[in-house]
Amino acid sequence: MANNMGMAAGGAGISKEARQTRSREMMRRRIRKFMNNKLSVIGTVFTVLIVLCCFVLPMFSQYTYNEVDIAAGAVPPCADHIFGTDRLGRDLFVRCMVGGRYSIYIGVISALTSTVLGVALGAIAGYFGGKIDSLIIRLTEIFQSFPQMVLVMIMVAVIGRGMGNLLIIFTVTGWMQTARLVRNEFLAVKGETFVKASEAFGMPKWKIMVKEIIPNILTPIIVSATAVIPGYILSEASLSFLGVGVSDSTPTWGSIMNSATSLGAITNYWWMWLIPAALLTLFVLSVNFFGDGLRDLLDPR
Amino acid sequence: MSEKNVILKVRNLSTSFVSDGREVRIVKNVSFDVKRGKTLAIVGESGCGKSVTMNSILRLLGRNAKVTADKIDFYEKMPDGDMKIHHINEFKKPNGKEMNFLRGQKISMVFQDPMSSLDPVYRVGDQVMEGLREHCKISKKEARERTLEIFKKLGIPDPEKRMNCYPYEFSGGMKQRVVIAIAIICNPDLIICDEPTTALDVTIQAQIMDILQDLQDTLGISIVMITHNMGLVAQMASEVCVMYMGRIVEKGAAEDIFDHPCHPYTQALLKSVPVLGMSGEKELATIPGATPNPAELKDGCEFADRCSYCTEACRSGEIPVYEISAGHTVRCIRAGQQEVTS
Amino acid sequence: MLKYTIKKLLMMIPMLLIISALIFFGMQATGIDPVNYLASPDMAANPELMEQLRESMGLNDPIIVQYFRWLGQMLTGNFGTSLSTGTPIASIIANYLPATLILSTIALILSTILGIALGIISAVRQNGIIDYIGRILAVLGQAVPQFIIGMILLAVFSVQLGWLPSSGRYSANAANPTIDAIQHLILPVIAVTISMCAVLVRYTRNSMLDIMNSDYIRLARSKGIPEWKVYIKHGFRNALRPVLVILVSRISLLFSGSVVVENVFAWPGVGAELTDAVVAGDYTVVMVLALVIAASVLVASFLLDIITALLDPRVRANL
Repeated sequence: MANNMGMAAGGAGISKEARQTRSREMMRRRIRKFMNNKLSVIGTVFTVLIVLCCFVLPMFSQYTYNEVDIAAGAVPPCADHIFGTDRLGRDLFVRCMVGGRYSIYIGVISALTSTVLGVALGAIAGYFGGKIDSLIIRLTEIFQSFPQMVLVMIMVAVIGRGMGNLLIIFTVTGWMQTARLVRNEFLAVKGETFVKASEAFGMPKWKIMVKEIIPNILTPIIVSATAVIPGYILSEASLSFLGVGVSDSTPTWGSIMNSATSLGAITNYWWMWLIPAALLTLFVLSVNFFGDGLRDLLDPR
Repeated sequence: MSEKNVILKVRNLSTSFVSDGREVRIVKNVSFDVKRGKTLAIVGESGCGKSVTMNSILRLLGRNAKVTADKIDFYEKMPDGDMKIHHINEFKKPNGKEMNFLRGQKISMVFQDPMSSLDPVYRVGDQVMEGLREHCKISKKEARERTLEIFKKLGIPDPEKRMNCYPYEFSGGMKQRVVIAIAIICNPDLIICDEPTTALDVTIQAQIMDILQDLQDTLGISIVMITHNMGLVAQMASEVCVMYMGRIVEKGAAEDIFDHPCHPYTQALLKSVPVLGMSGEKELATIPGATPNPAELKDGCEFADRCSYCTEACRSGEIPVYEISAGHTVRCIRAGQQEVTS
Repeated sequence: MLKYTIKKLLMMIPMLLIISALIFFGMQATGIDPVNYLASPDMAANPELMEQLRESMGLNDPIIVQYFRWLGQMLTGNFGTSLSTGTPIASIIANYLPATLILSTIALILSTILGIALGIISAVRQNGIIDYIGRILAVLGQAVPQFIIGMILLAVFSVQLGWLPSSGRYSANAANPTIDAIQHLILPVIAVTISMCAVLVRYTRNSMLDIMNSDYIRLARSKGIPEWKVYIKHGFRNALRPVLVILVSRISLLFSGSVVVENVFAWPGVGAELTDAVVAGDYTVVMVLALVIAASVLVASFLLDIITALLDPRVRANL
């Protein structure tokens, strides 16, 4: 009763300018919130820093990542080799940087491709509903009930190891969460007036999906695509560490560590695994914090 | 007013919430008394701080709430007729022993939303008995009997069977009866009802009100009724506090408020209530504008932007409180001017 | 409840069918010809003999027929033999599955107890020491891969301090076999537990914080019962269900984890065996082990599902 008083004045009649200033004000507030969250800021800084290092620094080094020098094998960190060398005498600093490139490639590209696949399947499930929907949902359940590591290993057994194959495998095994997210967003948006209006105008279905609905749910898609990058980097590292990931000639943070698996090497050659492990962890942590901040920034639900 | 008649005395209660590093004041310098055996109604729009005020008194607010008060005194009547005063504002822990002694046993609360107020995983009978067994150290069998009695009194059909049901098996009206049962099971001296009937339909509203009225008549309990339903206020309350944006803007005996409302907000509030037999041409008044955001308040009277009598003087400084007749106070500049002019 | 159980059990059948089909047809897609493994070099030179062998093994039948024959063999416990070593796969399972189950079960129980306890304390004593420990654990547990946790544990407790054995399940000549077995278990269990725990701490904390803000907690407090009772009886009891639901969905994480950890600690389980089989291209072993692991995950999820359902009065009411 009394709480309904004056409601009419609150809702209608807000000018476009007022709305714009309000949305700008809201964005400013969110940016302030992002900056207040120290972890997100630190995460962003480290993410950028590590990416820059990996792509720029190897160019200025006197070594290359695959230059073998048996005489200088297994040198601990020193002035010449700040991260030391591996048993073949390859400079670990350059290897870690170049390895970082590959690790980041794999993480980012897998996130992109699996997101695209997930968006496509989720959009189809959410838009058409019915049998297709329940089929796709059932498929996500089956894929998710499988231990991801085991699924990936079976795929490796099927199509073999190597970077290209890993990208395919991660795409095929990683789309489920995005698909579910997109499906639910589609279900929510499907009933809205602008979709109904587009349908009434006779717009083709795919066009409604791609041009009308997806732009509206881009924010959660971007947030989730960022959030899955660390997972792929970690999976690649685990697989390569076990020797079923990228081929031996490709350095990644995981495959570099593979050279120090023996019990003796763990303490004697600590730099061979601890340094790439630290880099890997630092990067994954940074991206995680960056992702959290991004979520607060774009999608404060 | 003699202390004997007062059960709860609140002076300068303020509550603020901290979020995002900013402090927003929700309740500001609220003072009132609850008289023993009487009903005090607190009215106002949603979000004006009524519920926060009462939750502050029972210290039921979350960690981000800051409650300060000069006085939150609860007068416990001892068996020998003496009064024991509990200074709630001095309790160190919001959920400590002292507070828990009062809660349920001396002061209890009926919450707004019966649908979500009951714990979904326990039988309703056990939830009603929980407080009783905590305070009265009685056997389970006795507690059961007492619960059964209350259920019967509250008109819950087939009480023995219903006691063993889970909340999801209850309708809204039945749940609210259970919530009331929880509130009255220990025979408290004061019941705070936080919009006890908003979530229910009209016939059940009336039944619940009858139950509360009956409790007051038979047991002499005091009631604080938080509501925005003026009809309910007229029916139940002997005294009324009108709140707006965290302040009490007008306070007095129910007749005074209804017959001589002085604050423009109270007047508007009363005009917005439909009265039975009102002629068709007469339109219900609405209050222009919406409640301002508590985080963006300016100086002066909070109601200024929506008030048709607003002058420059309303927009700055502290607005004084005037007592226009015994016990009837108004926080409005006009009341002072009228005194001077008349 | 019986209906619920039966429904859940029946749900497992199509799941297993689809999973087995995925595994089988996936392996067919590799184009590996098992005949090549079986035939001796001079036999391989003779296409006619090879064809005979193929015919006798049923490899020329339609693929659907082959699939159902294979499924039948799986169901009757006829798992075939390893292509690379010739060992019966049944004996591989018998040898390695118990080790994996022991490791996973202990890690599951430990991480559930620890994760929930830490999560609750974190929520109750928000911003206290335990909360910080819990939050750091949650963040690190998700950022540090299990093999690195395992290697750090190995480097510190096994190589440097020499407190615990580094690999295997038993020592050859231990004085006390029980203690010896426990010592071997400690490090792998910790490595798997930390990651599982990290997930649970976060969910328990969030779910507990959610619930502590709910109306029924306020009502419970308004009854004047002591705060610890509010936390345990009303908070924890309600937080448990959503946490267990998450746990069910994370069972597969547990098995993923044990694959990696088994390799680091040379733990003789199916995970390490699967890795070896993948490296060796031993596809009969890969198929069967994948199926076994998938079945274990389904069974574990089923059991947890039932426990979770029992916590819901609505489900219990239909017992």
